[in-house]
Amino acid sequence: MNRIKGFCCNYTLSVEPDALKSEGLIPENVEIERLPCTGRLEVSELLDSFTQGVSAVFVVGCQLDKCHNLSGSRRASKRVSQAKKILEELEMDPGLVEMFFADRGETEPVVQAARLMSERTAG
Amino acid sequence: MIIAERKTLKELIGMVDGFNNILILGCRGCVAVCSAGGDKEVSTLASALKLGLSRQGRTIDIDERTLVRQCDPEYIDPLNDDASDYDAVLSMACGVGVNFIADRCPEVNVLPALDTTFYGANLSSGEWKEMCAGCGACVLHLTGGLCPVARCAKSLSNGPCGGSQEGRCEIHPDVACIWQQIYDKLSGLNRSDDMKNIMPMRDWTTAGHGGPRRRIREDLLP
Ligand code: SF4
Ligand code: SF4
Repeated sequence: MNRIKGFCCNYTLSVEPDALKSEGLIPENVEIERLPCTGRLEVSELLDSFTQGVSAVFVVGCQLDKCHNLSGSRRASKRVSQAKKILEELEMDPGLVEMFFADRGETEPVVQAARLMSERTAG
Repeated sequence: MIIAERKTLKELIGMVDGFNNILILGCRGCVAVCSAGGDKEVSTLASALKLGLSRQGRTIDIDERTLVRQCDPEYIDPLNDDASDYDAVLSMACGVGVNFIADRCPEVNVLPALDTTFYGANLSSGEWKEMCAGCGACVLHLTGGLCPVARCAKSLSNGPCGGSQEGRCEIHPDVACIWQQIYDKLSGLNRSDDMKNIMPMRDWTTAGHGGPRRRIREDLLP
């Protein structure tokens, strides 16, 4: 089964990722890593996930105008755009890396993102 | 500063074809400031190459390092001690850095990761524009500080070619006619009459047309 990697900040996902999985909310093939802020994610980490065998990567950060660290999710979204360009250069589908935004403490957008990316790589 | 941009990944993957281990070597000078070859770009390029190569079923060892500059001997000479162990050093400095390593490190196989483009200024985050061509005989005192060598498509010395329209260069509507700007600038300084002084024919030897340029300052020699 395709592996999907998600990165969320502590503010967009305040529950343990495993709890979402045990409740059946996110697919088994999705692995979520929580970070203090998505703004610390580097393009290299997004790309390395693919090299390590992941099929798609997503990042969920705060709404752009409500980021806990002011510009963290904006920075993350720019890095996701950079990663998309690199995937294009490598003749890969740029849709395999995606940025999503969520209100603080709302798990639903994270669940939706995980399901969307899982569907995108299915089949 | 010197502006540069990364070559395409396709070109770079082709360049390292057949190698087993390379060193990606960044520079913390100009290319770090223009976000083309500093620490962060070294790490992004390493990851991009690894991914690109892995998709072709290939792996190579890639080490990463960034020097303070690649245009001073004290920073690059240590490469003679350990960089010949690599099949290649992929330099993310401008062409000066690549040349200097090639000159001073006989056993190092150095390759350019960037295309060095121009001397430019940072207009805003992510936007740079050519301002000087390093002609070696500056005329900015005659032109209101605006360079006709680098910023006129024809490098004209004595006014516009006649093709500009509404202040735009005939090569492209996005390009300002620098001679219009020189006129506006000098007029604003009440110096528009300066334009009547005809610049003599230029001697382009100082601009590199007389072969590679060199500068020696006796007072600084060791
Ligand atoms: S090697 Fe090139 S990019 Fe690096 S500091 Fe020197 S001139 Fe600037
Ligand atoms: S006149 Fe020559 S030195 Fe002066 S800004 Fe133009 S290119 Fe540079």
